[in-house]
Amino acid sequence: MLETINVSKSFKGKKAVQDVSLYLDNGESVGLIGPNGAGKSTTISMISTLIKPTSGEIKLNGANTINKPEKIRKILGVVPQELALYQELSAYENLKFFGSIYKMKGNDLEKRIQRALEIVGLADRQKDLVKTFSGGMKRRVNIAAALLHRPQILILDEPTVGIDPQSRNHILETVRALNEKDGTTILYTSHYMEEVEQLCDRLYIMDYGEVIAAGTKAELLSILQAEDTVKAELSKMDEAFIQQVKTIDGVRKAEASHLQLKIIAKKGSNLISELVHLADQHQLQIINFHTETPSLEDVFLHLTGRTLRD
Amino acid sequence: MYRDWLNLVSEKGEGIVKAVLWAQFAKDKRNPVVILLYIAGCILAALLFAGGVQSPSVIAIFSEEENASEIEKKWEALLNTDDSLQFVIVDPEEARENVRKGNAEVAVELMQMDYRLIAASEELPSVSYVQQHVGIVFQQEAQINAVESSGGSNVRQEIENYLEDAPFQLEARGLDSEAVPQYNMSTQLLYAFTFLISMFLLGFKVNNVTNDKVSGVWNRMILSPVSKTGMYSGYIFYSFLITMFQLVSVLIVFKYVMNYEIGDNLWLIILISAFFTFSMISIAMLITGFVKSPEQFYAIYPSVIPLVPLISGAYMMPGTITNSALVFIADLFPMAHAMEAIMSVVFYDAGLQDVMMSLMVMLLIGVVAMGIGINLMERRRG
Ligand SMILES: Nc1ncnc2c1ncn2[C@@H]1O[C@H](COP(=O)(O)OP(=O)(O)OP(=O)(O)O)[C@@H](O)[C@H]1O
Ligand SMILES: [Mg+2]
Repeated sequence: MLETINVSKSFKGKKAVQDVSLYLDNGESVGLIGPNGAGKSTTISMISTLIKPTSGEIKLNGANTINKPEKIRKILGVVPQELALYQELSAYENLKFFGSIYKMKGNDLEKRIQRALEIVGLADRQKDLVKTFSGGMKRRVNIAAALLHRPQILILDEPTVGIDPQSRNHILETVRALNEKDGTTILYTSHYMEEVEQLCDRLYIMDYGEVIAAGTKAELLSILQAEDTVKAELSKMDEAFIQQVKTIDGVRKAEASHLQLKIIAKKGSNLISELVHLADQHQLQIINFHTETPSLEDVFLHLTGRTLRD
Repeated sequence: MYRDWLNLVSEKGEGIVKAVLWAQFAKDKRNPVVILLYIAGCILAALLFAGGVQSPSVIAIFSEEENASEIEKKWEALLNTDDSLQFVIVDPEEARENVRKGNAEVAVELMQMDYRLIAASEELPSVSYVQQHVGIVFQQEAQINAVESSGGSNVRQEIENYLEDAPFQLEARGLDSEAVPQYNMSTQLLYAFTFLISMFLLGFKVNNVTNDKVSGVWNRMILSPVSKTGMYSGYIFYSFLITMFQLVSVLIVFKYVMNYEIGDNLWLIILISAFFTFSMISIAMLITGFVKSPEQFYAIYPSVIPLVPLISGAYMMPGTITNSALVFIADLFPMAHAMEAIMSVVFYDAGLQDVMMSLMVMLLIGVVAMGIGINLMERRRG
């Protein structure tokens, strides 16, 4: 129902987003993932009509939204990356304000506020000032404010950034319920792969302003089907050893952190014996060794040569 | 744009402005001390600098010439023509000591045809006010002497006769004619400080636009059915209301609690204040249009605003600033026009008709500054 066609955005000549095409079908839950500065927020801002693309089109049910934003704004709820709240007001007062700008009032507004507070689990703290809340609770108010007008599409921009695991689980459950019970279409942005894996049917991977891969989890994992991920624990760190591992025939990537070595290599390559041989040469032991099924993190590593977060 | 304005007064649009007003008010209600401080600040400034309107400031005068007492007597009579200043002959040592210790801001040393100000600092508005007054008296005396010595015999008598019995009433200050209205510098200073403080208040309220843009609240409003005009109007209207509340409170305290001489036509003065407030809010919007962040506004605004009354001549006798560049700059700010209008209401009984021109100029400044300011802000967002 919502799609972007080759949208690009430059800020003062610097490309932030380039030729991004993505779509959201009714009732889907879609993830948008990428490291810092990948262009996720910029893409979301364009979809939500807050900024205009430098080029490209955005369509809602086939109709262009860029110059006629009213329709999409009506059915869209946006949870911004920043805490767009009045810290000096209570949770309730914030929601009252954000509801009244949507022209809700009286009983109806009151009901919607209480419903939104229930959804995010803050009904009992509604009279408290937002500035007295924990990071996780603030994030939840931030979500509640986007739910008042019962949007058909909910866009969340890194809603779990910098908060405790408990609040994080709460938020993930909230989003899942909105999607599964209420049929809300979700576009969920994060740089935590495991969140997106849990929550989303499909995902887009962005890096340096471009979508570098897209599809369902299975489709993305199949990128790695021809490969094995091998993890080894070493007795000591040796840079020369790592460099040599990279030159083994069939090895795509070799990354070491602390004493952990992670290798992605073509299936069927003679990796293990080569590895043991090299370890001998460098006088180090391989303490532990196992082959893993690839994860989406591995997909990202495969595509970009980097991990999502350092 | 025009349709939007119509929309605002209609049933549909009204709610938005109300919502913005409500949120801004709810925030301030949590912190009522701030607005009370602005009101108290005004009154305090008035007490400190305007020096209480009824009791004139006492200025020590003395001479160390040979014929000291003759010189002192002569100038004492000539200097004591201003209601707000009282010149008193004091022992030279004592006068200097008082200034040195900070008991007095200024003393005047007299010579036959010249004078010298003894002051710890030239910066104080009261000092420059004394200087102006004394300067004018000495200048007039020098002119009279010059005319007399070049042949005219009874010039002084003639001038005084002329002023008392002028062929037509002059709207000017005479030597010490009773018929001419008394200009009261303290009253002018009172308004100058009141406006100065309200400029700070309204500026910080206008800056809430930038604050909310940075926090993302503004984006939430954009995504809602609120029109841009409705959003800006909400903030502008709130700044206006809170500033008017502060101004009117201060004026009422001055007039009815402290019994200061701030004029009889309070309604007209409030009307002029309202035009001033709108106009200055627009200037603040214009400044907001130039800055990138609320912090930058906090840095720039408070350093620019204190200059406005200074170049507008609000601390000096009217007509003191003659440099045409300065006058031009001052005219770009509403303060000069508001002060002019209010002083003419207070001292010359001007009516609505008489101040209409000033009101229109302030309105014009307001509309132009607002237009440019909002345009700049909108363009920045790209
Ligand atoms: N208003 C702007 N002006 C100039 N450059 C911008 C602006 N907004 C974003 N950028 C640039 O565009 C690029 C993409 O930024 P964006 O915020 O979309 O990334 P992101 O994927 O959301 O990153 P993060 O995970 O840190 O939120 C960055 O290089 C950023 O510096
Ligand atoms: Mg972002």
